[in-house]
Amino acid sequence: MTRPVYLAETALLCARGDSPAAVAGALWNGECSAGQRRLGERTFPYFGLPLAETDWMRRAEQAIRQVAGQLGPLPAETPLFIASSSFQIGHFEQCGKPFDLPVASASFSRRIAGWLGLAGPRASFSNACISGFSALDAARSLIGAGLMDDALVLGVELANDSTLAGFAAMELLTRNLGRPFDARRDGMILGEAVAAVRVSAAPASWRIAGLRTGLDGHSITGPNPDGSRIADVTVDCLSDAKMESGDIDLIKLQAAGSPGADLAEANALRRIFGQDMPPLLSLKPALGHTLGASGLVELAALLACLDAERIPATAGFAEADPEIALFPMVDRSTAHVDRALLNLIGFGGGLASLLAERRP
Amino acid sequence: MIAVVTLSQHFAPAELPGAVRAALGKPLRRAAPLTRLALAGALACLPAECRQRPTALLWQSTSGPRLETLVLLDEMRVDGEPLPYDFLATQPAIAAAQIQAVLPGLQSAMHLPLDSEGAANWSLLLALAVGWLADGRYEQVLCAQIDHWADAASGHWLALSRTPLENSSLRLQLVNKATGDALADTPDLPARLADWLASGAGPTLSLRSPAAPRLAVEFARLQSTRHRHVRIRF
Repeated sequence: MTRPVYLAETALLCARGDSPAAVAGALWNGECSAGQRRLGERTFPYFGLPLAETDWMRRAEQAIRQVAGQLGPLPAETPLFIASSSFQIGHFEQCGKPFDLPVASASFSRRIAGWLGLAGPRASFSNACISGFSALDAARSLIGAGLMDDALVLGVELANDSTLAGFAAMELLTRNLGRPFDARRDGMILGEAVAAVRVSAAPASWRIAGLRTGLDGHSITGPNPDGSRIADVTVDCLSDAKMESGDIDLIKLQAAGSPGADLAEANALRRIFGQDMPPLLSLKPALGHTLGASGLVELAALLACLDAERIPATAGFAEADPEIALFPMVDRSTAHVDRALLNLIGFGGGLASLLAERRP
Repeated sequence: MIAVVTLSQHFAPAELPGAVRAALGKPLRRAAPLTRLALAGALACLPAECRQRPTALLWQSTSGPRLETLVLLDEMRVDGEPLPYDFLATQPAIAAAQIQAVLPGLQSAMHLPLDSEGAANWSLLLALAVGWLADGRYEQVLCAQIDHWADAASGHWLALSRTPLENSSLRLQLVNKATGDALADTPDLPARLADWLASGAGPTLSLRSPAAPRLAVEFARLQSTRHRHVRIRF
């Protein structure tokens, strides 16, 4: 890495609003209500987009054009990095049999590039829940090395039954509330969102001070409960940023309310921060777990909160779990944050930590 | 210097489990075909003494989990809910977790599904790999194109290392401007590199990717080693 890489611009459409600032405002106001999504005889809470269109592909186009409209003009040759765990599977569900899958599995990315008016280099990333940070990692690496100057990193996760049913079949979903680090947590709530982050070599308000991805092969559905692999990745991220644990002002947790992953994350944080734990925040009880888009969604939302110096409370946390013994923020804060750590713990063993630093 | 090993593997789909069993010395249970292909290639690229070294895996795929996705969609249509394993088989990211059990040095993996038939993103994979090796982030980076179709399965690999591997045949560098002969960025790049090695033509060969004009990659022969491209066909 030979030069710094900045977070130049963000855009966001999710259940809480249609811009990063709107989402930050909703979070500050404590909005966290979820809708519902039906799966056979069962109904699950779900954070859907406020779009009336019912045709999957037209709805996707609306969502992506809405996010593009939040950004300034982009040169057509801007490199595009697309992150998703499901791409257009909802479209195939809707079209029905015979399922007309294209030869190239990420052909949806070509269509997205067309909607955005981008004809430059393009790559797609599908790394389950860490897809967004994998894409950001690639863009940052290339910009840092001087191989490109700007890139648009887009996270897209749109409603489909396959993902919901898959997570339901593995009993990873709650039928109630998302309760990160709470003693009563019993699973996550899924959601849909589109988020864009423009990264650049040109100085901006925030830079990516550190970013590392990792892998925990303990189980394909959950990390090692001792948190050792998660801690390794966070330590690598701090090392990349040339920072110490004491430099961190705020941690945006992965914490989705999963019994196992929340415990593993808590154990990892204790290994690194010991008794000097920074304030902890989880956004998933208010946004849902947006899977492949979640890293970019939560980054865009968090930066908007930090720019406004209005850090929301963590919804859904009320009763501490003695085994976790960590306490997400339950009161709002107007603290000034210069360095925020964002953690992702992915389905399938993927791990990621990103350290965002405010430019002096 | 970054040393490179090339590898191309081709399997009949029905023979893939047996090939993986032979490579592992035991059966690999409940693994999707893309995982089996990735495992077979990674083990063939890295000798046992290299498998503890900090390693990253960058793999692209045109097919993705196509057949598994069709099964999932059909289950959803008929039953409304898939079997857990059938859902897991559509998630390519989980391959890395299963590979880590036999490749303990595997620290990170990135899966890049491709969006156009016949085109690949080797130039991006190699640019990332070169940068990460130069920064000391990893000692080895495995770059792969893995595809599983109804009638054929294949894995094309370039294993990059900061220290020459036993079977290194090439070195690689990023250059400002490609000179000499150039290859297009297509899925079977390692096989075409091997053909070039075997032909004895020219000292260097470039990878040209119109989609990424600033990502020029140049391969050069290693003078002191024999060409050991491996092509496996069952």
